[in-house]
Amino acid sequence: MSRGRHSRRRPLWAGGRTAALLLTAGLVAAGAGLTGLVITRHPEIPRAAALQALPAPTGPIAAVPAQGTAAVAEPASLVIPSIGVSTSLVHLGLTSTGALQVPPTTAVAGWYTGSPRPGATGSAVIAGHIDSVAGPGVFYRLSQLQPGDRVYVRRADNTLAVFAVTRVESYPKDAFPTAAVYGAVPDPELRLITCGGTFDYTTRSYLSNTVVYAREVS
Amino acid sequence: MRFTRFARRIILLAALPLLLFGIPAATAATASAATSTGWIRLAHLSPNTPAVDVYLYSFGDSSAQIVLHHVAYGTVSPYEQVATGDYTVAMRAAGASATSSPVLSASVDVVAGHAYTVAGLGPESGLRLQVLDDQLTTPSGKAMVRIIQASLKQNVVSVTWGGDTLQGGLKFGAVSSYQTVSPGAETLTVSGGGDTATESVPLAAGTVHTLVVLDGPSGLQIDDLLDAAGSGTDPAGGAATGFGGMAPHAPSSPLPWVVAIGAGLLLAAAGGVRFRSRRAAAPVAGGRHQRVPAARS
Repeated sequence: MSRGRHSRRRPLWAGGRTAALLLTAGLVAAGAGLTGLVITRHPEIPRAAALQALPAPTGPIAAVPAQGTAAVAEPASLVIPSIGVSTSLVHLGLTSTGALQVPPTTAVAGWYTGSPRPGATGSAVIAGHIDSVAGPGVFYRLSQLQPGDRVYVRRADNTLAVFAVTRVESYPKDAFPTAAVYGAVPDPELRLITCGGTFDYTTRSYLSNTVVYAREVS
Repeated sequence: MRFTRFARRIILLAALPLLLFGIPAATAATASAATSTGWIRLAHLSPNTPAVDVYLYSFGDSSAQIVLHHVAYGTVSPYEQVATGDYTVAMRAAGASATSSPVLSASVDVVAGHAYTVAGLGPESGLRLQVLDDQLTTPSGKAMVRIIQASLKQNVVSVTWGGDTLQGGLKFGAVSSYQTVSPGAETLTVSGGGDTATESVPLAAGTVHTLVVLDGPSGLQIDDLLDAAGSGTDPAGGAATGFGGMAPHAPSSPLPWVVAIGAGLLLAAAGGVRFRSRRAAAPVAGGRHQRVPAARS
């Protein structure tokens, strides 16, 4: 059998086999690269628009205490409709090193019992996790809050304290403004704290904190 | 030309990863609004002065920002949050026209993050509007307290809290400076002349109080004002509120994948170019095919 004659009858394959191989191998490699790229890409934080906002809670809204002397009940739960947060509140104290205790699970937020009760005069502190090792935590979308967004705290006596976000800040943990966050203020305010910024894989912790400042509205 | 169209497709394909990466980069803006507000509260602490209307004007603005009607002796308003800047506080007799000239006025320069009490103090004959700078910070784990002596019946009073003398011999119309106390719930005792008033007053860590000594219906009376409150003990540093499950995987670089895509595309391009040139050349220069081994069927 003569190769030459044979190849003349099938010019396409005879001449293009290497080319076709190159093309296929190249496209497979590019496809694999693209797939790898997409898979290893970090999950993008879903925008608030894609989120089902919760209805505002209803109930008796407690009057802002005039002089903070009126007894305010302990906080029981927290609702932030615009970012879909609805959680009960656990009690948080301090760790042995004097740092703020964090909730035992990433699904609930907690009120720092050393801070004023939400709705009483002063800066009440509520902290929650941004994520677990596997997925979003209760305060995953905290940094998406905008000034004016409402925050509701339901108290043990079923009354509601209603707050409006005044600002959202991000601080490096090694330069945390303790006085601004935990310091005394003359009106009923709220501080919502979670993690943010870069995650340090060697220490397994975030390098920043997100702090949301809110003030009670009547 | 065929090649140009082919090249265009390759460029488009190569640009895809850039598009995928470019979009999330624009989401890192942080809201940062500096605090540019302070607080003002207004008080009537002159025992023999009738009720007044109190006006708060932003400097240079003739219409009042806040008007408190019929403020009687012993009344202290809640704090009002106001923008920083100069303000004028004016007192008029209760019910007097807003355009009448005020009995008294004082100016306040509100600094960001500061709180002020503007109080009518002293006897009616010597009534004055005093601007008090209110304390907002406490040493960690401590309480702060100050006393305003607004009793005319007892010109001079002494104030003790538990075993501590907070203030001895405070004269009518005077305001003590803040002092630091260890937190607790002790009995506050105010005594002047033969008159004594006692009340259990808890002073919690992280709180700032103003204790006002007033003339009550019968004898001395104590009004405990909570000026500010924060955490009793400030937690150290930030909060460990995350485990990284949703963190951006910054250390894993996209470079190897991009290189793979690039190399693959180059390979495919080389193949494509060769493929097409072969195909185009085939009918006229068939002889050249002899040099290439043919595929066996």
